[in-house]
Amino acid sequence: MQSNFDRRRINGPEESFPPVYDHEEEAESSWKPGQSRQGRAAGDIRPIFLKAGLISQANGSAYIETEHTKIACAVYGPRQSKTTVYNENGRLNVEVKFAPFSCTRRRAPIRDAEDRSLAVQIQQALLPAVRLELLPKSTIDIFLTVIENDGIEGCIASGSVAASAALADAGIEMLGLVMACSASTVGEEIWLDPTAQEAQNASGSLIVAGMPALGTLTNVWQSGRLAPIRVLQVSSVHATDDRILRAHINHSQGMEACQERFVDIHTIVAQALLDNAHNT
Amino acid sequence: MAVPSLSKAERAYIQASLQASPPLRADGRSLLDFRTVLLETGVAPLANGSAKLNIGKAPQEGGGGTEVIAATKLEVEDVETGDGVDGGRLVCTVTCSPSAYPHLSTNALDELQYDLTILLHQTLSHPTLHPNNLGILPHKKSWLLSLDLVILADAGNVVDALFMAARAALWDTKVPRTRPLQYQSRKAGDALKNADAMEVEGLPEITSAFDTRDMARAAADFELPDYWDEGEVLEGRDRWPVCVTLNLLPPSHFLDATLLEEASTPIRLLLAYSFPHKSQPNLQAMRFIGSGEVVLTQLKALNADGEKYARSLFDSLETKLRDEDIRRNVKARDKFAVR
Repeated sequence: MQSNFDRRRINGPEESFPPVYDHEEEAESSWKPGQSRQGRAAGDIRPIFLKAGLISQANGSAYIETEHTKIACAVYGPRQSKTTVYNENGRLNVEVKFAPFSCTRRRAPIRDAEDRSLAVQIQQALLPAVRLELLPKSTIDIFLTVIENDGIEGCIASGSVAASAALADAGIEMLGLVMACSASTVGEEIWLDPTAQEAQNASGSLIVAGMPALGTLTNVWQSGRLAPIRVLQVSSVHATDDRILRAHINHSQGMEACQERFVDIHTIVAQALLDNAHNT
Repeated sequence: MAVPSLSKAERAYIQASLQASPPLRADGRSLLDFRTVLLETGVAPLANGSAKLNIGKAPQEGGGGTEVIAATKLEVEDVETGDGVDGGRLVCTVTCSPSAYPHLSTNALDELQYDLTILLHQTLSHPTLHPNNLGILPHKKSWLLSLDLVILADAGNVVDALFMAARAALWDTKVPRTRPLQYQSRKAGDALKNADAMEVEGLPEITSAFDTRDMARAAADFELPDYWDEGEVLEGRDRWPVCVTLNLLPPSHFLDATLLEEASTPIRLLLAYSFPHKSQPNLQAMRFIGSGEVVLTQLKALNADGEKYARSLFDSLETKLRDEDIRRNVKARDKFAVR
């Protein structure tokens, strides 16, 4: 298959499958629909470890780790744009790369199409926050490397947080730090910061990014089935109608829950940046 | 989504006129008016379902506007050895014709194509919208529904056009009826007895006695009962979503932007709503595009408005699709009956 032939590396066999272990199968199917979340409450996010300034070669960098999601981010810039066209505002260029060992099945080192969809979402989250009008003819390059991946929504959210910490570490002017949080609706509950396993069982997912300092949202990504706002009003009128009360999660509840978490994540990021500033 | 370059003066001019009272648009529409939408189904006879949609075609000269063609094709996939999934799967692809975007380089065109593909694929292939008649033989064969959209021209608001055309093509899709078959093999060495009808795709027939592989398979296959029958409609065709793009220009918003208006808008909100019969409407997708910010209370209000606009878009689209069904089936039959 020509598309998979990589001349620079030793190619393994064309088809290979990961081994399947007996005890792993039991562990995976232990959650049944209708049960509450295992390991944490529905509104809990995973604990975050964030450290800035780990990549000395870059202008700014940050490393974020939330249980099984590990992302390293490096920011280079502002540097001169390679294009000769005059840009009045700076350009923000985000590139995401998955390490081959980051997912359960090995990912080929070639640039994949899925990388781009993550990069687009992270760029959309950061774009309103960075003061690009102060950087004409310049480009800011943000490179994210996903070292371990536990759910794409989690990667996008953690990647946005790491990228904004790295931008702050690089001294690039912004309107505010961008925080992001993901959520999914499982049955009648909203679970914040789902793992890959939990997201698979969900009927809808939501990623919200915004600046808690200004109280605004910069990116909202939603996929799957979520009921719109009106349902809340309907359900208060027909209080006896079980069908309407049951199973319709309002997506604005999801967005509110995510936004409340922004303040918590913001304290962690601010603390990490202060620690880094003290140490250097 | 591929915006032309605008001067600051032009951008300010467009923004000022949209924010004036009463708001002024270049073609005289109000903020919430759509341009004329022309829809035709059944444009690709070789496809299982197809539709052509045009927004904003000039009435006299007969050209221009955003034009999108959507077509669905069904293929049989093997669940055990191939990529098939039990119950079938849906794959969406969007192609941008280079003639629609002459100012974009090949790379930029690829990226635009990819972004639109991922938007449609993530929304339409979500398990909550999955039709349940895409399986053929459980655990053996299933249908792969490929929905391909081609953008022939872009005069603004291409995402709404893509979703409408996708919905129309999926509405028009007919899944061929299949009947499961089972072969009885007599004993090792005999050729397999073939049932009378046609075999579309099957397991290889064993004709040689020297073939000592597994002979006594209880081979299961399927056939098409009637070649000329188009088949049954795709299940759940009332669930396919409709998208509205709200272009936000504080304090107001407007719909169906032309290319210049899109370039002057700091932020756009895409909302895809699904209105199944006898059930609550559902939000199937939400995206932000642009460098502006929104406050949560604004977003809630915009969602409520977006649902109203999507509802009216959905109702008119449904009326048109039913009309198209009548035009192609009932009227065509009547015409032939008269002859």
